[in-house]
Order: sequence, then structure tokens, then C-alpha cells
Amino acid sequence: MRQLAIYGKGGIGKSTISANLAASFGEAGLRTWYIGCDPKSDGSMTLVQGRKIPTFLEQMKRGDERTVLEGFAGVKCVETGGPLAGVGCAGRGIIVAVQELAKHHFREEDDVLIYDVPGDVVCGGFAAPVRERYANEVYIVTSGEYLALYAANNIARGMANLNVTIGGIICNSRNVANEVESVREFAERISSKLIGTIPRSRVVQECENQGRTVIECAPTDSQADAYRRLGRAILDNRDLVVPSPMGPEDIREMLREMQ
Amino acid sequence: MTDILHPRPNPIIAAMYTLRDLDADIILMHGPAGCGFMAARRLEEAGVRVMTTGMQESDLIFGAEEKLVRILKGIDDRFRPGLIGVVGTCASMIIGENLDGAVKKAGVKATVLPIDVHGCSGANTTGAIRVLEVAAERGVISHDERDRQKMLLDRATLIERDRGLTSVTYLEPHPGTTKLSAAQLIVRTLREGGKVAVTLNAKKETAYGFADIMRAVEHARSKVGGEACYIGNLDPNIGLPRIRRYASDILRDLNVANVTVGTITGGLDEYPVSGDKAAEALDSCHADLRIVAGLPHTVPRLTSDDVLVTDQPRQLRNYIDKGFGRAIGEISTHADVMAAHAVLRSELGETIRQVADGGWA
Repeated sequence: MRQLAIYGKGGIGKSTISANLAASFGEAGLRTWYIGCDPKSDGSMTLVQGRKIPTFLEQMKRGDERTVLEGFAGVKCVETGGPLAGVGCAGRGIIVAVQELAKHHFREEDDVLIYDVPGDVVCGGFAAPVRERYANEVYIVTSGEYLALYAANNIARGMANLNVTIGGIICNSRNVANEVESVREFAERISSKLIGTIPRSRVVQECENQGRTVIECAPTDSQADAYRRLGRAILDNRDLVVPSPMGPEDIREMLREMQ
Repeated sequence: MTDILHPRPNPIIAAMYTLRDLDADIILMHGPAGCGFMAARRLEEAGVRVMTTGMQESDLIFGAEEKLVRILKGIDDRFRPGLIGVVGTCASMIIGENLDGAVKKAGVKATVLPIDVHGCSGANTTGAIRVLEVAAERGVISHDERDRQKMLLDRATLIERDRGLTSVTYLEPHPGTTKLSAAQLIVRTLREGGKVAVTLNAKKETAYGFADIMRAVEHARSKVGGEACYIGNLDPNIGLPRIRRYASDILRDLNVANVTVGTITGGLDEYPVSGDKAAEALDSCHADLRIVAGLPHTVPRLTSDDVLVTDQPRQLRNYIDKGFGRAIGEISTHADVMAAHAVLRSELGETIRQVADGGWA
């Protein structure tokens, strides 16, 4: 079983990539799980026709039977859920939910688990999927912009502290100058590699507006092929390394050199 | 910064005890069941109801404000308390529970003091100071009383850091030297016509245990002769009503035992500062043997010939390590002081009486 965790700066496109990866694995016949770890519980929407699914933690709180919804191409979709903004502890929620999933729901015969983890690793709970080794292969999503790379580097530092291996860096293009080269250079400087690039395309938004992934909504579009290529690269990838993060100033210097 | 390894009270516990001093009817711990459990048992002996919101895993994740509001309303209806303290715990404070907001939402008839402390808020006195600040804000105590007590607590923190429980990295509990040795020394000094000084510099309710040493020494003096002088922080006109009551109870019982406390050094909550006056009074006594009971390390200029009596095994280790070999433990008496309304019979006191009365011989 491949156990992947997708991290990256807030708003960088983790959920879109995670859902499209899950859809591409599903259509390839792999038994796939999508586990959204954001308390907003919106990452799985494009896998289930734009609906919001009942969250694990809400069900646990009410004592209800936990339901796992099957979405596009049989992808099993779970949202951990969590507290409303400003109360409780979302990090603790992630810990509890992933423990429960690992204990009672995943099966040996499952092929791929994808944890879509929100934002930066702001507290111990957000690191739980990897710290507890529920995921052992981290992919960090970034663009070529400084703040996205800064966040990616910060995540790499967290992974290094936890002695967790990363599989590579995913470039989600924002069409900035020398973007792919910059992200590739960053990946190499932290001892990792660029595993794939997703071009910027308005098809993504059009499909999201219909509550579906690109794989489902525009299967013949070149954007769908980009997600499929990324998925194959991840499945073929065997290079897992504990990253060696850069100094924050070194990122700026690198970007200046790349201009 | 030195790491202090031995277990000791934290701000949560200090907050609970300070609410007891304010005569709170109910202390509601907002946290998991078991948090502050041992302290709760002691406080219940003192007549305070201690309750918990019993936070569960889902409360930790989603927050437990609704639960706190519901429980506050419930205990207000059921027990009709005048004063409730809602005390934070590590669990509720780390997840950012809004105690003040919950208290406002509950809108109960009782006066409620929301105390947002947790175990990592700093020295244990931080919890006590937080209670005093909230109590002053809500008119439960005056601002002058708050400031007076804050000064005392800050001084207590410094003394502990300088020569008390937080002055060394680790203190292993010690039972103290034997009470028989101390009792024989005290009675022999009196029998030989010597003068024994007994100084009480004790913290609040613990004085109910230590004051018995004065009674026992006076009993021995009446039997074998000698002189005695008595010094104590037993001013019945200082502090909160509950603390004043302790001093009045003790002075009443000492009077019955013919003990005249020649020098009153301050109130029972003034132990961090009354030690200075106690040291002066001790010097004026010119005693052949000096007994210092309560928190002896709060009294300056102690000598290794002094008999020090306290109730904490780790404090005894601290004294012995610092060269005070005559350190006596009143460990079991300590368990009974919370419910006391009269001076208790102490172990050292009983031993002094028995030796003075000739023992089994």
C-alpha cells in the first residue's frame, strides 16, 4: 500500500491536486482513499459531485456509525473534519481521526492512501499523519513564488525534524518567470527532486465549478493528462529522502540567481 | 535556568487554594476528570465543593464551551452557591477555551470568577495571583487586599527560589530526624532551667498543626521548670475572613493551654514577610534552644542548633542538605489541617508531653 501525504502552503492547490491524483488512480483501477484533513472539509467535494460529506469527527462526536463515501471511480472519500474556526483543536482532531482510520478502516488490499493536509505544519496534530507513520511518502506542492517556496521549505524542515522522508516537490504553476527551473533548483537544494509539474489551466476552475475533478469532467483535456503523468511519476517513484531544508535567505538568493 | 525535577504544586492548584481562601462555595475545574484530583480531596475536607466538567476527546477537538455553560447553569440551580470559581486546566487552556465568555453566556445568579490558568503558567503563585486579580475586578476583594497579597506571593516565590523547594534541582523526600531526640533535647533544656523559644511562622491552615508545639512546650515547662517564649504570625485582624478565623481559633486554644504569644509577627498569610520580625523577636528572646515551626526557611539567621519543624518531606531534605540537622517532620498532622477548627495534637507535641511526663519509665 502506498501511503502519500500532500503538504504545501495554504491555497497553493493541494486539494485540487490530491483529488485529481485520487481520481487518476481510481480510473486506473487502483483501490484508492482520499483523506481530507482540513476542518473546512471541502477537499473531497470534486470527488463526490460537489457535495459536502459527513465528517469523521462529527460522526464520532455524535456516536454515529462512521460512513465512508465512494466517489468518482470508486475512490473512498473521508473528511476528518474538526472544530469551527476559533474553537477547539483541529490538530488533535486530525490525530484522533487518522488513528481511527488506520485502526478500523484501511485494509491491506488497498493500493493508495492520499492524505490532503491543510496549510503549513502549524502544530503537532498537522504532522500526525507522517509522525505516526500513517503516511510515509510526502509530496510538497509549491509554485515558483517566494512565499510558496518559503512555506515548502518550512514544511521540509518539519519533515527533517521528524525524520520523515519526502518523495518530491510538485510544481503547481502560477506562470511566474523561470518557474519550473526555480522549483527544480529548490527541490535539488533540499536534497529532493521535482516529481512533476501541473500547468495553469482554466479547465481546473471550470471543472471545480461543476463539482468535479478534471479527470472526471474533462478526461481528454491535456490538463487531465498532466495529473495522470504526475500520478504515474509518483507510483514509479522509489526515491525517498529526509530533506535538508535551506536557510530562508538562501531561497531569496536562489530566486535572484534564477531571474 | 535550572531545571527543577521534583513534583510540586502548579498554578492550577494554587488557584484552587486561593478560591478556598475566598470562601468559594464551588470550584469548577474546566478540564478532564482527575485534573487537580488530590488537591480537590483536601479542599473538600475544608468544605469547598470541587467539580469538573470532565472534558472528553471530542471536547478537546470541538471545544467545550456549551458543556461548561450547561454545567454552570446546572450547579447554580442545584446548589445555589454564592461564589463559584471556574478554573482552567492545561487541556482547556491549550485549546483556547474562553472561560469568561462561557460565564457570561451562562448568566447564573452566583458570582463567578473565571480563572484562566494552566499548569505551565509559571510559578504556582501565578495561579493565586490570577484569582486575586479576577476577585478584585469583580468586587469580591478590595484592590488593596489584592495588592497586599500579590506582594506576599511574589516574596514567597523569591524565598522558595532562594532557599526553599525551588532552590535546588532535585529533592528526595526525607522523613526528618526523630521526634524523640528533639523532645528529649527540649525537655532537658527546660529541666536544666534553660529558656526555649518557640516561633511559629506558618502558612495559613497549617498553623493548626504546628501551634500544638507551643502547647506541649508550655506543658513541659509547667512540669519540669525552665522558661519559654512564644512568637507567632497569629494576628487575628489581618487577611481574608477565613484566614483571620484560623488565627482566632488558634489563639483561643493557646490561651486555654496557658500559652501567651509574646510577639505577634503578622497574619497567617504573611509568612513570607513575618519571618523577618520573627528573627528579631527570636534574637530578643536570648533562648538556649530555638524551635522554628511552619516554614522555617522563611525566617532569616537560623543556626544549625535550631530545631526546625515542617510538614513537607522534600523541605526536610532541603533543610538537612543545607546543614540543619535538627529537622523534624510533622507529616501526618498535615493531612488533618484542612478540616480543622481547633489546634490539632501534633506528633512532636505528643512526644514532648510524653517525655515531660516521664515517658514509660
